[in-house]
Amino acid sequence: MESSDLALQGLMLFLLLFLMGQANVYTRAGEKRWSGEGTNPHLESIFLGRCNEYISVVNPELSKKNCSAIWEAFESVVHKDPCSVLPSDYDLFINLSRHSIPRDKSLFWENNYNLVTAYADNTRRLIPVTDMLYGRVGDLINWCRQENGSGFDYHSCPTVEDCENNAVDSFWKRASSQYAHDSSGVIHVMLNGSEPSGAYPVEGFFADYEIPNFQKDKVTQFEIWVMHEIGGPYLESCGEGSVKILERRLKNMEFKYECINDYRAAESTQQRFPSLFGGKWDPSLLFFLFLALASEIQL
Amino acid sequence: MVRESSPCRSQKCRCLLLGLTVILIFGAVAVFAAVIFAGRRDPPAVLLQWKGRGSTDNLKEIMLGRCFTYTEMVNPELRKDCLKIWETFKNAFISKNPCNITEQDYQPLMELAAHPILCNKTLLWSKTNELAHKYTKVQGNFLTLEDTLLGYMADGLTWCGNPSSSEMNYQSCPHWRECANNPSSVYWKMASRAFAEAACGVVHVMLNGSISQPFGNSSIFGSVEVHHLNPKKVHLMKIWVMHNIGGQPSDSCSGSSIKELKSIIEGRNIAFSCEDDHRAVQLIQCVGNPEEPACRVCRT
Repeated sequence: MESSDLALQGLMLFLLLFLMGQANVYTRAGEKRWSGEGTNPHLESIFLGRCNEYISVVNPELSKKNCSAIWEAFESVVHKDPCSVLPSDYDLFINLSRHSIPRDKSLFWENNYNLVTAYADNTRRLIPVTDMLYGRVGDLINWCRQENGSGFDYHSCPTVEDCENNAVDSFWKRASSQYAHDSSGVIHVMLNGSEPSGAYPVEGFFADYEIPNFQKDKVTQFEIWVMHEIGGPYLESCGEGSVKILERRLKNMEFKYECINDYRAAESTQQRFPSLFGGKWDPSLLFFLFLALASEIQL
Repeated sequence: MVRESSPCRSQKCRCLLLGLTVILIFGAVAVFAAVIFAGRRDPPAVLLQWKGRGSTDNLKEIMLGRCFTYTEMVNPELRKDCLKIWETFKNAFISKNPCNITEQDYQPLMELAAHPILCNKTLLWSKTNELAHKYTKVQGNFLTLEDTLLGYMADGLTWCGNPSSSEMNYQSCPHWRECANNPSSVYWKMASRAFAEAACGVVHVMLNGSISQPFGNSSIFGSVEVHHLNPKKVHLMKIWVMHNIGGQPSDSCSGSSIKELKSIIEGRNIAFSCEDDHRAVQLIQCVGNPEEPACRVCRT
């Protein structure tokens, strides 16, 4: 009987160890550690390509910038623990890649990346943060260090759901702050009035990292465009809901602002058209762009 | 006996020493001569001078970055070896006279980097560079050559080499007016041909109705692409003749230039249709001209 007990215990122990081993295998190979996409393969080549293209082709005035040094500064941040990366860790990277923004050319936005990118037209019309050197190199890519290693983690990376101080979010916080700080003249803001969670996210990048960094003595006024999907829904417009919160906040900070809806611009009934720049930046332009973007016309 | 061996040894030593010295002297002379002659045989390569812009700075980094971006983000189903593509591209023109580039030079690259295209998505263009690309960027359903790997990598860049040098010429490169067989022109000609050959289904073309000849055989479209569409794969060509907003139309679907194109295409057994100022494209033009009558939203 004793031997059979022993045998049984032995078997159970073996089974337990075996199951633990299996579980270990599964967490390593099958399940992902974090909830976000992993580091892009060939990140360094993509980064250097974008940097070199920006300083050689897009904005040759920046030809003296050193892309290798900029990459080194960026990469050194990723040596830190994937959940301990702070915006200030990117200070050297920003120092090396920072450049001036032409007056009246800044474009801030929430929830309408595609429209913003199409409208900005690679710095030809306006210059959103992703058309600045420091924004261009990080646009649409992902990166983080392995949890227990020094190299990049290509399987998954932490998002805000996993931890706040992750490499990518801290990057954009730092870049956005700098971008707002260096902006001057008229500040354009494009919001999405068809977004169910609100056109102006009260706790978004614009609210938390851009508005607090505008320089009062350099900014002349804000021009807010509330865009809607063609055909609706028209959930929020100027003076409504979260847009009203934004307007009130700007007023409290003693900034001048104008707000324009696409819908009213198209109807051309009630809305005033402040022709600040001879109508050049009239948001009915954006309406056409939206039409084209959403165009389902059979060809 | 002891006395007899020592003079032998010292003589042997002396012979050895003498031999070694002679060898050393010869060696030194040989090395010296080699250095002199080597210098004489390979003078520093003379950098040829041309009238066009020089090679783009950091060309390798830019093209590699674009290749990786294209194969990982723009078209992730494509599996390509970007480093190999770069080397093959470079070998096509490095160390060669940039006025003597041949199609064979680029053939290995074409084979490496070519990839199939979905049917009905091809958009050819002539003299409408800016508008065509603004349109495809916004309306993702069409692909121009510059939306394929070969076009994406090289768009807007310049490159050329120099005879007897492994370096690119960053000072100047031949302008197409100086010689037709320069590295860029041959590249685009071959890439355009491959792009036309890969087209299937319906092919769209954006032409410029505000110039005197929207269609001509001096353009790549007229001289290369039209003639390399495969009638077994392409059954219809749809032309959009776009005019400058608010400008005077110079030519249109009913003009002689388009009629000439029509006869060529129909002669190749491909059906043909033409539309003036296709609305979806015109909307892109309207972004810059919202006050023009053609751009009013409620047109009566």
